[in-house]
Amino acid sequence: MNRRHIGALAAALLLGTTLTACGSDDDPASGDNSGVTLTMLMGVNNIYPEQQRAWFTEVSDKFKAETGASVRFETFASANDELTKIQTSVVAGQGPDVYALGTTFTPTAYATGAFVELKKEDWDKVGGRERFLPATLGISGPDQEHEVGIPFASRPFVMAYNKDLLTAAGIDKPADSWDGLRDQAKQLTKDGTYGLAIGYADGFDPWKFIWAMTTQAGTPVVKDGKAALDSPNTKTAYQAYLGWLATDKVVDPAAVGWKNAQAIAAFGEGKAAYLPMVSASSKVSLDKSKVAGKYAYAVMPTIPPGATSLPSGGVAATSILSGDNVVVAKYSKHKDLALALVKQLTSEESQTSYYKTFGELPTNQAAATALGSDPALAAIVESAGRSASTPFTGGWGQVQLALTNVVVQSIPDLSAGKVDDGKLTGLLGQAQSTAQAALDKAK
Amino acid sequence: MRRSDEVARLLPGPLRALVLTVLLLIVLGPLAYMALASVSSDLAVARGALWPDGFHIDNYAKIWSTTNLGRGLVNSVLVAGAVAVVSAFVALLSAYVLVRYAFRGRIAVLRALLALQSIPGTLLLLPVFVLFASAATALGVTIIGTRWAVLVTYLTFALPFSTWVMVTYLRELPPELDEAARVDGASPWRVLTRVIAPLSWPGLVVSGVFAFLLGWNDVLFASVLTNPDTRTAAVELQIFGASQEGGALPVYGQLMAAALVCAVPVVGLYLVFQRYLVAGLTTGGVR
Amino acid sequence: MFLPGGVLTLLVIGVPLALALYISLLDLDQYSIREWVGAEFIGLDNYVEAVRDSHLVHAIGISIGYSALVTVGCLPIGLAAAVATQDRFKGRGLVRSVLLVPYVLPAFVVGSTWRIIFQPDGVANEVLGTSGLWLNGPRSFWALVIVQLWAGWPLVYLLAAAGLQSLDTTVHEAAALDGAGWWAKLRHVILPQLRGPVSLALVISFLHNVNSFTLPFVLFGVPSPYDVEVLPVLTYVESFQNFEFGLSVAMAVVSLILVAIPMAAYLRAVRLDTGRSRS
Repeated sequence: MNRRHIGALAAALLLGTTLTACGSDDDPASGDNSGVTLTMLMGVNNIYPEQQRAWFTEVSDKFKAETGASVRFETFASANDELTKIQTSVVAGQGPDVYALGTTFTPTAYATGAFVELKKEDWDKVGGRERFLPATLGISGPDQEHEVGIPFASRPFVMAYNKDLLTAAGIDKPADSWDGLRDQAKQLTKDGTYGLAIGYADGFDPWKFIWAMTTQAGTPVVKDGKAALDSPNTKTAYQAYLGWLATDKVVDPAAVGWKNAQAIAAFGEGKAAYLPMVSASSKVSLDKSKVAGKYAYAVMPTIPPGATSLPSGGVAATSILSGDNVVVAKYSKHKDLALALVKQLTSEESQTSYYKTFGELPTNQAAATALGSDPALAAIVESAGRSASTPFTGGWGQVQLALTNVVVQSIPDLSAGKVDDGKLTGLLGQAQSTAQAALDKAK
Repeated sequence: MRRSDEVARLLPGPLRALVLTVLLLIVLGPLAYMALASVSSDLAVARGALWPDGFHIDNYAKIWSTTNLGRGLVNSVLVAGAVAVVSAFVALLSAYVLVRYAFRGRIAVLRALLALQSIPGTLLLLPVFVLFASAATALGVTIIGTRWAVLVTYLTFALPFSTWVMVTYLRELPPELDEAARVDGASPWRVLTRVIAPLSWPGLVVSGVFAFLLGWNDVLFASVLTNPDTRTAAVELQIFGASQEGGALPVYGQLMAAALVCAVPVVGLYLVFQRYLVAGLTTGGVR
Repeated sequence: MFLPGGVLTLLVIGVPLALALYISLLDLDQYSIREWVGAEFIGLDNYVEAVRDSHLVHAIGISIGYSALVTVGCLPIGLAAAVATQDRFKGRGLVRSVLLVPYVLPAFVVGSTWRIIFQPDGVANEVLGTSGLWLNGPRSFWALVIVQLWAGWPLVYLLAAAGLQSLDTTVHEAAALDGAGWWAKLRHVILPQLRGPVSLALVISFLHNVNSFTLPFVLFGVPSPYDVEVLPVLTYVESFQNFEFGLSVAMAVVSLILVAIPMAAYLRAVRLDTGRSRS
């Protein structure tokens, strides 16, 4: 086969796809929309499956009453599913009109250029930019003029602790520094219970710890397009994180094989005093476990390892900015309707009811303020306000993977009860070059 | 019948019992674990407990409402069944040509069929999606989201293998058979349907079963090419394994229950097709 | 009248494959995917990068190594199962079906189950009396072999069983007349007849393992531990996590070529494609 033929074939195909993209008939949100169906893609919720289906119907009915158009929901099962779906839709120029994306995917979505950048009038159509909690807008775009993501749900990370175990050890409140947490964990480790439950084999947890510690130390892993994975602070962070199991012995040795789920299970069994890096959705599992009623949430430490106070330049971030952003596809033939749907989803009323059904925090300022007064939620709401966003670069996915890879490749050593300094340095060097190469490609 | 059984015996009784016991242990060990897990709580499974911490048989009731497993099963049977029938039939046609007619490039075609087995699914995902999207625009019809989309995609992967299986089986049939029929004045079509097809049941069943399994187990393509109404059971099943970000456990108990439920139709299907495999044997014995 | 089959086969396979090959020559990433035909044509650069700067060679080694081991391991188990279920006995139908179950379970269910079994404090260590890691480090390679073997052997069994069933009964009769013992009969009369279907099963099993994505992905997660960094997971990560589509497709093409070479040699050796070996 010669190249020109393939090229011609490809061009013919492109013609087909662009026709889809161009054949748009921009419907205004008002006017006759009967018969129009918007498609929205979002994550499946298998903890509340029936509630989610009911919510889909409710949203569609309400939207129909207001605009005449109905909404069809499609769901994805995992982050990988989500990415596959986005990519195929982007390349084919057809698919859902509206997507609910995890916040850390927003830079990737932005990089494809396939989603609507929100101008002033677009923000107005969703009820105004000012209706959202300022912190939740932190990862909507590279800057305020180029935002694609509209905050929809907030899921900040916190730490669960076993109140009984802490009381028994005479600890009155969780530490606010990572070193303090380690010392408390040592005190709490005895008779088959451990101070911390950590999912070392999780595909996402490890980088969140390293990101938090380095951000707090004032040397974030990525700054101004430069990676700093080989900085001394990054190494200290890894040593602290891996050291909990290897040298401090405050984590169950079996945790080298744990994902987040197994860490939650161990905490739920009452076999660990602290469970860092969970969101409010862990409540569902924990309330069914042995520790139901015996645990509480607190914000994670904000003072980096090796320090007793926040270093200058350090950011006291309690969590990555986490949750869902909504984006509207450029190929959508019904942009105004899509924005009207987003407006409906982010209203104070919808957001409050969404929280009550699914336990995910509102991004709507008025709804969030109303919730802040609930003491059970205090820590989570506090963490929402003190979250910091991960760097807005299309290369972030690769940086994240490089950070996690260091932990994955350290696990054999970890299992043997050591953190090999030379090997760690080598892995960090590799991670640094991978991350920097990805950042250099970013446009 | 009994006597020919005796003659056809392959293994002494005790040895056969030993082999089967070992094999069943290997197979059933992990399956028993799945069965236990399917009546355990999600926490117990996540913890890796061997024995259930209670008997949560309601997992088997819940799976029908957690996702649309029922509709998924129907879709899977429709899609996988169609793939099985179409690919077995098309494979029979192609294989007949490849076996009985000498033409230039025949060996190359045969080798290519096997080489095609080495194409990874991830390689074709984007191209397939783009093709369907453009074809849909050109023809003014919807393709993505319909069962046709997955059907055609699975044929891509099923046909080379099915054709190979049929080539292997048709080769076993003596050419004199269809030559005799042709001499009697039968058309090639008649030879194929009246002489060849009845003699190649085992091959047809095997290639059909494989094509069926391919459609039954695929998640990669089905998750992108289907919509909520046409989703297959495998995609529905995957949803059980999803965990809510940053916390809540996957519904492990229900996942195991649903997986076992999904295995039942395939096992049943095989039980049914046994008869045809045996029928193939008897037909073969007649000649 | 035989044309439709050929045309359909060519169409559903050839066109997507041609597109994929074209993509492997483009600098296609997340920044250019939306206008993918406009992506810069960079010739063989992706191939150069794949071989020089990625773990491709290592991954191919792992993939081919473990696939070969699994394939060889499947052979005796599958044959034993086919032979043992050939004789009539009560409950044979059920046993035959049960033996297929590992093969019909979706890969990610198999993966999730074995992942739990192989946990450091899981059932595997308890039963084997071992301790420590199975899903990372040197032993992870063997964990992968074990799980793929468990899930994959019924393929050999199925094809061998179908082959056995299409055997002529006169074969048995001839052997019986000779007064051959069961082993001699099996070794010299029955097994040689199964060469065709079994060789095919081995080829398919090998290729299936080389291309197996879901199982290692679920079992070990991404990023992969170094010892089980198999090819499909590497290409998947490159495509769906790092968004280097061109590079990823180039890797897949390289692997396709590298697998095709030993495959061609094997096909020549067993003469599977010409069918000329038996007379």
